[in-house]
Amino acid sequence: MQLFKFDENNRTHRILRMGAIVTISLLAFLAVWWIVTILLNNVNFPTPDKVFEALYNLLVYGDRMGGHSLWEYLATSLTTFVEGFFMAMIVAIPLGLLLGYLKPIREFITPWIEVLRPIAPIAWAPIFIISFGSAMGSALVVFVGIVFPLLTNIIFGVQKIDKNWLDASKTLGASQGQIFVKVVLPATVPYILNGMKIGLGIGWMCIVAAEMYKRTGGIGQFLVDAVNNGQMATAFAIIIVIAILGILTTGVAEYVSKVVSRKMGMDA
Amino acid sequence: MKQEMVINGKKYDSKDRVRADRTDKLYEHIPAGEPLVKIENLNVTYRTDEKTTVAVDNISFDIKKGELIAIVGPSGCGKSTILRCISGLLQPTSGTIMIGDKQCTTAGSDRGMVFQDFALFPWRSVRQNIQFGLEIAGVPIDERRERCDRYLKAMGLEEFGDARVHELSGGMKQRVGIARAMIMHPAVILMDEPFGALDAQTRNILQESLVNVLKNSDRTIVFVTHSVDEALYLADRVLILSKRPATIHTILEVPGERPRDRGAPEFIQMRKDILGYLQSQNTLRSPKP
Repeated sequence: MQLFKFDENNRTHRILRMGAIVTISLLAFLAVWWIVTILLNNVNFPTPDKVFEALYNLLVYGDRMGGHSLWEYLATSLTTFVEGFFMAMIVAIPLGLLLGYLKPIREFITPWIEVLRPIAPIAWAPIFIISFGSAMGSALVVFVGIVFPLLTNIIFGVQKIDKNWLDASKTLGASQGQIFVKVVLPATVPYILNGMKIGLGIGWMCIVAAEMYKRTGGIGQFLVDAVNNGQMATAFAIIIVIAILGILTTGVAEYVSKVVSRKMGMDA
Repeated sequence: MKQEMVINGKKYDSKDRVRADRTDKLYEHIPAGEPLVKIENLNVTYRTDEKTTVAVDNISFDIKKGELIAIVGPSGCGKSTILRCISGLLQPTSGTIMIGDKQCTTAGSDRGMVFQDFALFPWRSVRQNIQFGLEIAGVPIDERRERCDRYLKAMGLEEFGDARVHELSGGMKQRVGIARAMIMHPAVILMDEPFGALDAQTRNILQESLVNVLKNSDRTIVFVTHSVDEALYLADRVLILSKRPATIHTILEVPGERPRDRGAPEFIQMRKDILGYLQSQNTLRSPKP
């Protein structure tokens, strides 16, 4: 007797299966974590139950530290993050389109990008923060983290444009400017979104790191303060919050990028 | 506002009542059957470090106004190269291409093009694809819509106006490609193996649609094809090229009004002769035992 027969062609079945696998996987992760912390028997690595209790207190009671709640720390970090993200967009989209489209400029600028790109964004933190203040400095670190993946994706996207589209628009009378606006720009949208998705993930790493370097009133500072106060369970709870936010932002970006690309008939 | 536009290096403003979407009006003074496009001493040479390849060797011919001329030749002989030179997408190594009394140097809306792999814009709907050129030329929205409706109807696409390109079959896509070129009323339409990517049945249906659309029109069309049958079914004249470097073997006049009978006896001998010649020119021919 079979109560449930899995059907590959049934959407609900596939979602249920996926959900079951993820749940079991996460439960197993929790179990491994628990076992490791018990074996370690170190006060700096609290068991998951203590961490979740701290997380619950953070979320529900808004446990305060240094006079601020989790939400205030998060708001500061998110503001910095969004600032850095928009700066990166404003710079990378026009620059990427231009570099992709105009070969002489691209050839001239590419060495600059290749020199700057391998530098870990966080390496700029001391210099940016001392020069522009802790808020703007951290935003600039996020900017550096996001701008390069975005830029390289857009340049790649422009170069991948089907030459036939350009030829077709020329024979329909389009000028270089019209081709840029009506063909190059829309054809690059999927690559812009993909670059944003990658950039968002890197941006999250940058913001936490920058805030740990200097007191900015953000989530990174919250984490350092918790550790310094010996509140290890709270520290791990904060790490979980950071992880969830990272997953949410990249998840949303991935979804948007998929839907838009499909709508535009260009899903890769 | 005075709107200026440049066609083939010559400036026009709105006073001239010549717009990028009606370039055929520029050549109204040329009577049907007279040369509209003159190709003189066309040479195309590709250079790489290792070798120099002559693709097109000193070709001259006329395209007459209102005719449908087919270019056939053995595979890889440079048929498409000639077409790309006429369109202005490729600069010939030497030689001139005159349209009317003006020399063509760059691509423009007076030479519309239909591509083998359609080259439609996937982010635009069928209607938006067809209207692309009108949009570029600054035609008012109402006129765009109205003209587009006519072409949707003529190409049997009425129900697909709002469809996305990727929802269409290959045959439907090329109908859009043809409509997109025709709606601009270019002086000449260049078709680069327009039905080459389609299966045999779809090919026949599209050839018939094309004949239908061209009925009672004075369109000038050059098309490159692999198919001798297609050339004999559609063209007024067939230009037969040699193997690379391409030279003109002959230009054949095809008798009969369109639509033609595909199996008509007068075509059988012509078909045999052309195929025989192409076979003799085929460089991929297996060696004789």
